Amino acid sequence: MASRRFDYLFREVTSGLRRNGLVAFGAVSTTFIALLLFGLALLISRQVGLIIEATTGNVEVAVYLTDPVSTQNVNGIEGKLHTLDIVDDVRYQTKVEACEEFRRLFAGQKALVEGVSCEPGKNPLPASLRVKLAEPEQFREVPAVLGCKQQDSGYVCATPGIDNVVDQHKIVDTLFKVTRILRVGVLVAAVVMLISAAILIANTVRMGLFARRKEIGIMKLVGATNWRIRLPFLVEGLFESLIGASVAILFLFAMKVAFIDPLYGSTALQFIPWITNHDVVAIVPPLVVAGAVVAVIAGLVGMRRFLDV
Amino acid sequence: MISVQRVTKAYRNGVTALEEVTVDIDKGEFVFIVGQSGSGKSTFIRLLLKEEEATRGEIYVAGKHLAKLSPWKVPYLRRNIGTVFQDFKLLQDKTVFENVGFALEVIGKPKHVIDQRVPEILELVGLGDKLNNYPDELSGGEQQRVSIARACVNRPLVLLADEPTGNLDPSTSVEIMRLLDRVNRIGTTVVMATHDQAIVDAMRRRVIELDTGKVVRDQARGVYS
Repeated sequence: MASRRFDYLFREVTSGLRRNGLVAFGAVSTTFIALLLFGLALLISRQVGLIIEATTGNVEVAVYLTDPVSTQNVNGIEGKLHTLDIVDDVRYQTKVEACEEFRRLFAGQKALVEGVSCEPGKNPLPASLRVKLAEPEQFREVPAVLGCKQQDSGYVCATPGIDNVVDQHKIVDTLFKVTRILRVGVLVAAVVMLISAAILIANTVRMGLFARRKEIGIMKLVGATNWRIRLPFLVEGLFESLIGASVAILFLFAMKVAFIDPLYGSTALQFIPWITNHDVVAIVPPLVVAGAVVAVIAGLVGMRRFLDV
Repeated sequence: MISVQRVTKAYRNGVTALEEVTVDIDKGEFVFIVGQSGSGKSTFIRLLLKEEEATRGEIYVAGKHLAKLSPWKVPYLRRNIGTVFQDFKLLQDKTVFENVGFALEVIGKPKHVIDQRVPEILELVGLGDKLNNYPDELSGGEQQRVSIARACVNRPLVLLADEPTGNLDPSTSVEIMRLLDRVNRIGTTVVMATHDQAIVDAMRRRVIELDTGKVVRDQARGVYS
């Protein structure tokens, strides 16, 4: 009984797809683009989330020290920093450490590395205190406690031994703003495409109903229930949308492999955590659900008023 | 089986197709509805199928009060009513077997029921050897027999026929009438709208005559006029 019902559905759906192949193709490809954009927006959000998590999870403020560094000065600055409640952690980075990190980060760019020597006296990189804040928004308290005033692009401080104070949180804010615009743009495009996809699916359903109005008339006369008549058309729309969703998912995965995977090995971007296959798998349910919801709504709209008994 | 009480049907365009029509048809009766084109015969049939709603009055078919029947129950009402039309309404891309089986398939009957009942009913209408032919390979009379087979395959209580002989020549019409008579003899109530005078006169069954939407005659064993 169940297999027979499935049989019937399968025949109706496949014959429907064959009948208006071109229109069905239009619906499938629009759904594909819509869900691709939707998935892209989700992946961008995830990627930005990872970057922000990593950045704010590291260091919010860098206090660069003047050359040569005196232990006395460093202890003094550290002491002042620890008087603040918002300071979570302070780590001292020596000139050599700074230089080694620089070499590591830019290992891919030989010209830069060769221009910088880590030998004492030749090392241009400053030592610094890396400050982690419990509340990154309260950054201003850090220059204040050190007696620093903003001038041009940096700070001039009353406390001896400080060259500059840099709020890295601002960088994160900028990153976040830029990506938010990007993400919203992609999402808006996705919504527009989803609406187009819905209209196209509704159209295929309507064309299918029209092409088979005689058959539907007979079905009504012999007492087929409305759902019996509707279901093949709904399933046809659902099928189209799910094909679009599957292709979108494959495409997103391919994009991840093509553009993100090469970055895993990149030394320069090592400090950025990249999305993994797991993140791509995680966006499958929302894409499938979005595709299904759009198809069902489109199907119901397409057959509205067409099936009054 | 069918009870129509003081029914008026006025269409939205102002045409009154039926006016104060009262008709009672018992189980197992064979009734002709006669009248000119536009007298309301087809509207009468459509009302019994609940394809149209009566403007006033009450209609009962197979024990169901149609005005109070919710839309989702209408298909179940129609499973008790077979319908036959002048234009046969067969699907050209389906064989005779598939056309008849379609009526059972779309109401969810299992395959073994279809495989058993369809050849049985086609044998009954005299098309036992044409199961795999397509409608365009059949004569008009044969096509109408397929459509009668489809109407009867689910063993309906009522058979509604709207001008079933309208497209057929006189001798073929007689064959179709013999078939409808047989269907009636096995207990099916038959209501047939027609303006085929020769057939009505030959059958001598109950005749209800409509004229501009009113019943002007209701006569047992009647003739056309």
